[in-house]
Amino acid sequence: MYLHLFKARLLVLLALPLAAVHAANPSVSGSVTGPDGSAVAGAVVFVQTPPAAATVTPRTMAVVDQVNKTFVPGVLPIAVGTSVRFPNHDQIHHHVYSFSPIKTFELPLYKGDDAPPVVFDKVGVVRIGCNIHDWMSGIILVLPSPYFAVTGADGRFVLEDLPNGTHVLVAWHALSKLKPEETAQTVRVPEAVSNVNFRLPLAPPRPRPAMHGLRP
Amino acid sequence: MTRALAWIFSGVLLSCGALSSSARAQYAVEGQSNLWLRALLDVRLVSGGPDPSWTDGGPGKMRYGGSFTDRGLQRATRVVMSQAAVQVGAFLPWGVRAQAQVNIEPDIAGNYQPWLIEATLRKEWGDERLGWGLQGGVMHVPFSLENTGPAWSPEYTISDSALDNWLWEDISLAGAEAEGWYVSGAGVRLGALVGAGYGGDQIGRLLALRGWVVGDTLGGINGDLALPTPGQRTNIFSEKDHQPALYTWLSLGDSGKIASVNLGVIDNRGDESTPTVWHTHFTTVGVTLSPYRRVDLLTQYLSGTARVRAPANDSSLSAFYVMLSYRFVRQRLSLRYDTFRIHDLDGGPSTSERGHAQTLAYLFEIGLRQRIALEYVWMHSHRDATGSLNPTSDGLQLSYRIRY
Repeated sequence: MYLHLFKARLLVLLALPLAAVHAANPSVSGSVTGPDGSAVAGAVVFVQTPPAAATVTPRTMAVVDQVNKTFVPGVLPIAVGTSVRFPNHDQIHHHVYSFSPIKTFELPLYKGDDAPPVVFDKVGVVRIGCNIHDWMSGIILVLPSPYFAVTGADGRFVLEDLPNGTHVLVAWHALSKLKPEETAQTVRVPEAVSNVNFRLPLAPPRPRPAMHGLRP
Repeated sequence: MTRALAWIFSGVLLSCGALSSSARAQYAVEGQSNLWLRALLDVRLVSGGPDPSWTDGGPGKMRYGGSFTDRGLQRATRVVMSQAAVQVGAFLPWGVRAQAQVNIEPDIAGNYQPWLIEATLRKEWGDERLGWGLQGGVMHVPFSLENTGPAWSPEYTISDSALDNWLWEDISLAGAEAEGWYVSGAGVRLGALVGAGYGGDQIGRLLALRGWVVGDTLGGINGDLALPTPGQRTNIFSEKDHQPALYTWLSLGDSGKIASVNLGVIDNRGDESTPTVWHTHFTTVGVTLSPYRRVDLLTQYLSGTARVRAPANDSSLSAFYVMLSYRFVRQRLSLRYDTFRIHDLDGGPSTSERGHAQTLAYLFEIGLRQRIALEYVWMHSHRDATGSLNPTSDGLQLSYRIRY
């Protein structure tokens, strides 16, 4: 009983400094809209050049699932150095590949969780596909740091835990007509910023029609 | 001729590969063309016999058999181009997807004429959890569990089972189908497809007159297939009574993707009062199991009848196979057992047949585009009409396949 109380108090004591750090780094929030003011969902806002002092610890593992002949998520932002697993939860086999210069790889026909993870060690855009099912297409956006956020349906984003310093934020979208550097905005942390707004003109979407039906 | 074609085809494939890579800006998304082109070339060293294949007018039940010689039936070994396939597709406005495939299968067709395997337009509504779709054009019925590889090739072996080989060689329809799918909150997937198509008036004739065979024929709408009678062939696409075939395909899969059960039914609704029109219907049930992550177990059963007014060739048809396949990274080892029957129903010239086959295949994928495969098939088939020519056959195939 006393041991449990001691452990609980110890956890509270350990959590206090973390909470203090969190409190010292207010979030940066804002929105991404189109030229007409409409919300842009699925845009990625990220720190283009993290301060040298910032310790970058990328998430060690991310997942792109394959469900009903679709990559889920369709766009996966990750920090450089992250490993990505590609489980296949379809009954049929998939043959995942990328010819992108940033990362060229292939995972021969497989099902389930049998494919080894792939490490993405260069910054940039990697387009992935399935060698059997041509309409399957996904994007892995490899970013210079783990400081990124994806806009929701309302176009809003929140960047948490940015380290102190001056940051250049940029916005990216798969259909954006602008390069990320053309959207650059500077913020200073620890000042709380809640109105960073990006305007992204988007090209009209040209989705590849999917095939979810019974035919393989 | 075969070798020259193979070199030309390989050159085209390599050129296409060289054109596909170019440098891109760091955060730029590589463009995706709305047109796509795929090709597949399969060259094999084959050894089979002793009976010549049905494709050469012999009683052999495999795609590559022996040969007639002065000393009788002899095994034969040769290099052949088994398949050259080209698939083209386009993503059209309004979310419509177009796809077409032509194949050259010289030994099956008896020449180098390209066969149109499929040409479809497809549109889907909804998403992966709930939706429905329409497809129209030239297509095969979707009943085969094995033909899920590139360009509709068998995925687990070089040769299909007798059951799935027949589905792909003899049934090519021009029509339309609708389907719907639903994935429950627990992950159980239900799918239902109904279709109708013209061109199925000769379905069943091939089985009644020739019998079941093991192979990997992809029938084209403009193709025909050899019959045992010298010089006679049967059209794959034939429409005389203007009554469309009707078919349905139902599928149920579990949330863990461990098992799926599939049921297919087709009735070509052939009008037996129309001369040479066959009335064929059958039901097939297939189960796929993946009890362990690298193991696939497939089994499928088919039963039906094929009837024609004259001559007296009415037959009942049945076939079954079970296949165990183990995959390890780039390698796959598959073992399959086939059994098949045809029963003569009307006492005319007997169409009865019974047989079985065992297949052992090893496949090795090289990179993204190439595959080497080795397959051995042992087969015994007794067909009443063939008289004393019912030898036990076996065949060995070493396949090299490249695709783009």
